[in-house]
Amino acid sequence: MYAKFVFRNAKRSAKDYLVYVVTMTICVMLFYAFLSITSKYYNPDIGTEYEFTLVSDGMKIAICAVTLLLLFLIRYVNNYMLRRKQKEFAIQSVMGMEQKTVAWIFFTETFLMGAVSIIIGIFSGIFCSQFITGMLLSAYEQDYKLSWTFFPDTVILTICFFSLSLLAVGLLNVRTIRKIKIIDMLYADKQNDPHINRSRYMPVIAILYTIFLIFMTVTGISKMYFYSDPRFPVPVHIMFWGNIIAPAASFLLSIVWCIVRKKWSFNRYILAAAILSLVNIGFAASVPVIQSTYMLAGGAGTLNSYLMFLLVDVIFWICCIIYLAGNLLSEWKEKSPKYKYRGSNLFFFGQIISKLNTTSKTMTLICLTLVLSVFLFVAAPALTGWASGYLDIRSLYDVQISTRYNSVHDEADLPQDNYGLVTDFLHEKDIAVAYDCTFNLYLPNQEDFHKRVKLDFPIAAISLSDYNTLREMLGYERISLNEGEFTTQWKTIAAEKERNEFLSNHTVISTDMGILSLAEDACHLEAIGQTVYNSYTDVLYVFPDSICDNLLSVMRNRYVKTETTIPYNEAIYLETSFAQKYPETPDNGNGVQYYIRTSTQQINNSIAGSFILQAAFDYSAVVLMVICLTILSLQQLIDAAHYKYRFGVLRKLGVDRHETEHLILKQLAVWFGLPITVAAFVSIIVVSYFFKTISAQISAYIGIGALLTQVGAVVCILVLLLICYFISTWILFRKAVTE
Amino acid sequence: MNEILKLEHIQKYYGNGGNITKAIDDISFSVEKGEFIGIMGASGSGKTTLLNCISSIDTASAGHIYLDGTDVTEIKEKELARFRRVNLGFVFQDFNLLDTLTISENIALALTINKVPAAKIDIRVEEIAKTLSIADILNKYPYQVSGGQKQRCACARAIINNPKLILADEPTGALDSHSSQMLLSTIQSINERLGATILMVTHDVFTASYANRILFLKDGRIFTELLKGDNTRKAFFEKILNVLTMIGGGQTDVC
Repeated sequence: MYAKFVFRNAKRSAKDYLVYVVTMTICVMLFYAFLSITSKYYNPDIGTEYEFTLVSDGMKIAICAVTLLLLFLIRYVNNYMLRRKQKEFAIQSVMGMEQKTVAWIFFTETFLMGAVSIIIGIFSGIFCSQFITGMLLSAYEQDYKLSWTFFPDTVILTICFFSLSLLAVGLLNVRTIRKIKIIDMLYADKQNDPHINRSRYMPVIAILYTIFLIFMTVTGISKMYFYSDPRFPVPVHIMFWGNIIAPAASFLLSIVWCIVRKKWSFNRYILAAAILSLVNIGFAASVPVIQSTYMLAGGAGTLNSYLMFLLVDVIFWICCIIYLAGNLLSEWKEKSPKYKYRGSNLFFFGQIISKLNTTSKTMTLICLTLVLSVFLFVAAPALTGWASGYLDIRSLYDVQISTRYNSVHDEADLPQDNYGLVTDFLHEKDIAVAYDCTFNLYLPNQEDFHKRVKLDFPIAAISLSDYNTLREMLGYERISLNEGEFTTQWKTIAAEKERNEFLSNHTVISTDMGILSLAEDACHLEAIGQTVYNSYTDVLYVFPDSICDNLLSVMRNRYVKTETTIPYNEAIYLETSFAQKYPETPDNGNGVQYYIRTSTQQINNSIAGSFILQAAFDYSAVVLMVICLTILSLQQLIDAAHYKYRFGVLRKLGVDRHETEHLILKQLAVWFGLPITVAAFVSIIVVSYFFKTISAQISAYIGIGALLTQVGAVVCILVLLLICYFISTWILFRKAVTE
Repeated sequence: MNEILKLEHIQKYYGNGGNITKAIDDISFSVEKGEFIGIMGASGSGKTTLLNCISSIDTASAGHIYLDGTDVTEIKEKELARFRRVNLGFVFQDFNLLDTLTISENIALALTINKVPAAKIDIRVEEIAKTLSIADILNKYPYQVSGGQKQRCACARAIINNPKLILADEPTGALDSHSSQMLLSTIQSINERLGATILMVTHDVFTASYANRILFLKDGRIFTELLKGDNTRKAFFEKILNVLTMIGGGQTDVC
């Protein structure tokens, strides 16, 4: 009998469950779509030179981690349903149904609706996964082909995950319903807003922040004590001092407020703390920039510490701003009676202030999550662009053998090998060689051999003939040098300013074989691989052969270009057998570090890595964005009953329908607008800062124009998503209030 | 005395086809300016429907309602809101105050909606609050004050625009006896001192005894009318009781 009741009830209240079903379907769809590519049955045609397990294993972990967040959303939507249906529960209870039965009926109803969502979600997921497959195939530079992605293992995993989630959340609901008093359920929709009092979360956050300030100050002092030097330029000193004084001042503010708290309101303290936290943000953000500009040593983890400080400061600042928003609005309202008493503004302010005061915690969380989501959306193209751009520059040769002499102490131990192992391998596997070049890298001055300080590492040199062979391999024109001349080859990442400065200071250099002067054609920027440069240097000298013949050769590299691509398994085999004979670790007796890189493996790792990164970032960003927007929208709809009453009073007082609708729109605009404006403001700063810190890589590997186009596209999608949510909330809200 | 409200053959039907319920069945009466009129009747007699028709919240099926010469039933939909806020003041059983606003703001809201200049608002709110003895709670929120105080705030909101007619729907319905008495004294003084015209719907005899004239409704029609005249409130109270007994007794006779 109850089963029939449940089915009929679920069918009748399908409209009530609309928000629930839509949210659940989106969750299932995203989960299935992303997870389907990790299925063991998923086998896209990406070519023999690629290995797909690299992607699927990485993806599985990323998806599972992010999906935990979905549980939060499921719980929230369930709470919304619970509040919506309380009156119905009350009537059922009054009629004599046991509260236990009422709870189980609700459980079955939500589970039924959940099951419907899972089915719809899986089918939508199949379509949605086509985008992911498209993304994957374009990452591997393959043409898009439609693939059937209905996989039993993914389906089972999706059903299990969501059924368990529904079960867990459903049981919590049962517990909640059994605990509510009938009288409270009966009058749930008649209760006005909760009393306008504040939770204690902001004082708790202020206390935690104050404790954290001690840690920041101590870190600042220790960094200054260990790493500061009077010879540093002024900006470095400002950075060191700023990172002590700013957190210390914030800490003192908290202490002073504790002493005079009766005279100074908490709001004023929070306002002052918010201003000081901005100063803290400035100083903490300056650390990575100053450190890279002035090549400062900062000790292990300095960068991470300061990025953490930055994050804490930003979080605190957002908490303060949202917390103060209601107060500032109240104060402004009191100070400008002209605006306050204009039309229905009084009602509007009342609505906004009461909502801000009672839900500032949720607003803060939404704001923070939005910032994170926007950052992930924007960072994904930058990071993957960087990875693929860098790949193009470093994987120029099919086989790349390089050496490092950083741990070699005796000149006799320097590498002189021809790496015959590679020749044998290529011959054995019948892989035709197009170009093969084994060459030495020299030190202009033998006495520099023992220079091992990072900042003082000598620049290596290559002979003109070897350099020209490499250029020929890569399809560049050969160059020539006159006797007594040298030229330079640069890494892509080196900035123009750095190059010009170097060249103007090195028009003449002295070598063991005499003085060389800079050739007219002084600078070559074509990418010839990253392993021709000495450690910690961005430039390579090109000397005439006659000079190099008598210089100290410190590294011996071999670059091979083959006619056909080496298959993935063969490439791994070559790398393994090479590493056995020529280990990478310096404790191999003579200290020489040998490296072998095949383009097959480099491309595979890089594409797989950047695809995982992009997919994980995009998945997280979409999930977070959906969570935020759904909660923002539900926050309004959940209170529709209260609002119906309030707008009803307004109508009775003689406010016409047009004005009421205008008020609804204004209220929703503020409700959506506040967290989104704060989040957009913070996101712009965070993203600009992030782009600034990797600006060299952006201009070297991606190109500013290309990145801006991608970021622009992401922003457009986000705005579109926001507009969709706003309009649907507006329609539902208007209907609920004016009906 | 001027006639402020006039109802001519008002009818209100619900349902359609053969299943019509007559909530109001041909009611006509008029109210003079400054009068305090009560409408009594059992549940379902049409009291609240009548009030809703007069207040233009609901539309009458037939007949005319004139408020100070204007036919309420002919006012266009767009004009209704403006008409209500200029001409009518409401006092409801459940106060209808907004919890998001302070008592003072709740009162001020009625003025701001009527586009009263900002500079005059605070002064007028304070004046009315003094009159209704709620000046000391102006900065409190509705949930911080008692039911009686809430209802006095609702009264203040209803009269602050000097409406032509104040409509009160069971104003003491949610109050205890002491608060009811205080509120009724307030309403009476509003009527006597400020000359406000009040139309009050109630089914409570004690509340009704504060009015000058009472219309008794039964099954959508006016059953009888009772004037206070020179009677004391106690005598009037007894008269009302008698009428009510008569209305109830009629039913008993039929049974």
